[in-house]
Amino acid sequence: MLRKNHALLYLFLLVAVLLAACTPETAGTAPTTPPPQIQSAGDNNAPSKDLVIGFEADAATMLANTDVNYVTDVQIRNIYDPLIDRDKNGALIPVLATEWKNLDPLTWEFKLRQGVKFTNGEPFHADAVKYNIDYILDEKNNSFYRSRWKDIKEVKVVDENTVQIITVQPFPTLLLRIADDLLIMAPKHTQEVGLEKAATDPVGTGPYKFEKWTRDESLQLVANDEYWQGAPTIKKLTFKIIPEFSARLSAFLSGEIHLFKNVPVDSVERVKNSDNGKIEMVGSSRINYVALNTFYDGPLKDKRVRQAINYAIDVDELLKSVLNGYGTKMTGPLSKVNADYTETKDYGYDPDKAIALLKEANIDPKTLKLQLDTPNGRYPMDTHVAQAIASQLQKIGITVTVQANEWGNHLAKIRQHEMKDMFILGWGPAFDAQGTIENLFTEKAPYSGFHDKEVEAMIQKALPVFDPAERKKGFDELQHRLVEEAAWVPLWQQGDLYAVDKNLEFTPRADEKFAVFEMKWAK
Amino acid sequence: MLDYLIKRTVQVLVVLFLALTTVFFLIRLSGDPTALFLPPDAPREQLEEFRKALGFDRPLLVQYTEFMTNAVQGDFGTSLRTREDALQTVLSRIPATFQLAFTALGLSLLISIPIGIHSAYKRNTWFDQTGVAFTVLGQALPSFWLGLLLIYVFAVQFKWLPTGGGGSAVHLILPALTLAAYSVARFARFTRSTMLDVLRKDYIRTAKASGVPMYKILSMYALKNTLIPIITLVALDLGVLLGGAVIVEVVFAWPGLGRLLMQSLLGRDFPVVMAGVFFIAFIYSVINFVVDVLYAYVNPQIRFK
Repeated sequence: MLRKNHALLYLFLLVAVLLAACTPETAGTAPTTPPPQIQSAGDNNAPSKDLVIGFEADAATMLANTDVNYVTDVQIRNIYDPLIDRDKNGALIPVLATEWKNLDPLTWEFKLRQGVKFTNGEPFHADAVKYNIDYILDEKNNSFYRSRWKDIKEVKVVDENTVQIITVQPFPTLLLRIADDLLIMAPKHTQEVGLEKAATDPVGTGPYKFEKWTRDESLQLVANDEYWQGAPTIKKLTFKIIPEFSARLSAFLSGEIHLFKNVPVDSVERVKNSDNGKIEMVGSSRINYVALNTFYDGPLKDKRVRQAINYAIDVDELLKSVLNGYGTKMTGPLSKVNADYTETKDYGYDPDKAIALLKEANIDPKTLKLQLDTPNGRYPMDTHVAQAIASQLQKIGITVTVQANEWGNHLAKIRQHEMKDMFILGWGPAFDAQGTIENLFTEKAPYSGFHDKEVEAMIQKALPVFDPAERKKGFDELQHRLVEEAAWVPLWQQGDLYAVDKNLEFTPRADEKFAVFEMKWAK
Repeated sequence: MLDYLIKRTVQVLVVLFLALTTVFFLIRLSGDPTALFLPPDAPREQLEEFRKALGFDRPLLVQYTEFMTNAVQGDFGTSLRTREDALQTVLSRIPATFQLAFTALGLSLLISIPIGIHSAYKRNTWFDQTGVAFTVLGQALPSFWLGLLLIYVFAVQFKWLPTGGGGSAVHLILPALTLAAYSVARFARFTRSTMLDVLRKDYIRTAKASGVPMYKILSMYALKNTLIPIITLVALDLGVLLGGAVIVEVVFAWPGLGRLLMQSLLGRDFPVVMAGVFFIAFIYSVINFVVDVLYAYVNPQIRFK
């Protein structure tokens, strides 16, 4: 009887081990023969094949200009056109606006594209621009974009194809706001059906028409064959919502989705080794950094300590060993894709200098105990990066405690000034100097943890400058100064990794958009 | 009986009240929701303005009183994220969750009861042992891992089934199996042990002695007496299945209540969380209420205690 029990136990163990061998981690490395069904080989030749993009979360609403959220924006941008867009490198290009100029520092005039129609047949005219900007400004609509647009005094319709935007004070970054925030909804449709209905039944001038939205399942769009830039080659587009990463990867490997963003660096090989997948990478405008908190009453208030930490963290090594090279090193507050980037000094890795600086500040590194907060899963390998930084600082004797936070808590701790010595954070899209420097290094901005009266004065001086050359000079000086102050430890431009179907022609963009109009199937 | 019904109804209301109160205060410990909604460059004035508009700037007790007053009238407010009615948002997810939970329940009963009966009948044979081993396995595997494993085998390798999503019966198979795994184990073991007790009873021995065929004894006499405690267990497990669906719904991208709650919690969408908690507490209470009333109906001793 007992013997029999044992035999069964072994059998059970064997089954368990066999099952365990089927887990993705172990099975992926084995050189198994490819499964017989190579991703629906039949319709690969058809260039009009439908496209399914996998996404981690659903859009909050189909209304434009409402929810400041990458996930919402990136989906509805296929339905609505902007006035101005960015090209792949982040430079501004005309879309529904064809040209623009300043009549004076407070008045901007935009010429609009003629002959464009919304997908419900409504013509696109200047009143649509006015309607959408007024929509943002109207408190009743609770648009999360309003704070960025509050300097707009009035939008004036000059004629059908000309519109003027009048600002309260000079608004040098208005074009960026227009490019990054403003999308044009059909005014008549929106007013007729009401906002509540329009939130689930959007009409724009974009390359795709709305078909069906099932919350937390999928958003289905069809090509707008009347699109003013020509009919899209991909006729049907679906955004499929799959919250869990492993499930997203599985859906990709099984051919259910053709494209998804944010492949963790440790899963890159699996996608590369699959039959239907390839990896595309682009240096995103999103930057990752370690904030050195001067709002917190700790040793980092001393510039020399901040500099010492800059010397003691080996960013190249982190990139190589933790991120497998998927990222682009930064040395200052702005990345190279930022239009206002200027080359600044690189602290490099120099532990001896770090120790010397600490000595100068009268600090024995062995007594220095710091806390490093990191979000968990928000940025590529974030908690691993934090651990690696802790061990690098340990090499010169500093003890670092790593605290991993759920994202909402992490953000709340920063906003409420509850962070201790250091924290990891990302920032993006970061295409211009003001968007980064004003929002990170002034007193009201908690995200870099750095504040200095002189630097604040320099920033306030640079902000309202209207002349481009003058403006650039101000921001160049600021970049050097911030590096000199060791305001933070810049890490890298995030390398955005996309899993892409082998037959899909897709070039990832620095602004992280999925512009499906630009994509097509090979052959 | 009426006294008993009234007493139990009051108890249900107290449970709902306590659940809502606890969650209300706990969720507010998780931090201010405004940070997650406004753009990071929003100035402090706008943050304050937004907090004010949502009423988060008022003392907690005032917020609580207002919430309770509205909740009693069925108004849980609007979702901070989608601006839609919170309770409606929750209710729209119920069909998907029920579909998953009941399929899993049916599946686990279909699998577990025959296994349990057969194990009891063939006690200590290879069938019994393997059955026990598998039920232990089912209970020990985290549903998260089991779900991914099933996706990998049936969706990625064989491509027989979709990896996830909702909509059709085909989409239901893997998540229902995953969710059922745990209950199968519980039910099968419970059926086995109850059946063993029943089989030891005198009347079974008498039936055997008088030459009633074994299949008839099992299916007619023993099964009926085994079913009563199983029904209790099923009623209790339905709550577990509805709650346990959270992980399974996330892994399989199933558009149910569990996933909505998880997402709303991470996104600090307080009104939706409260409406969801209310609904789950309500279902739990109602199931327990019905079971208790049935008991009282069956066994008068209970209601006079």
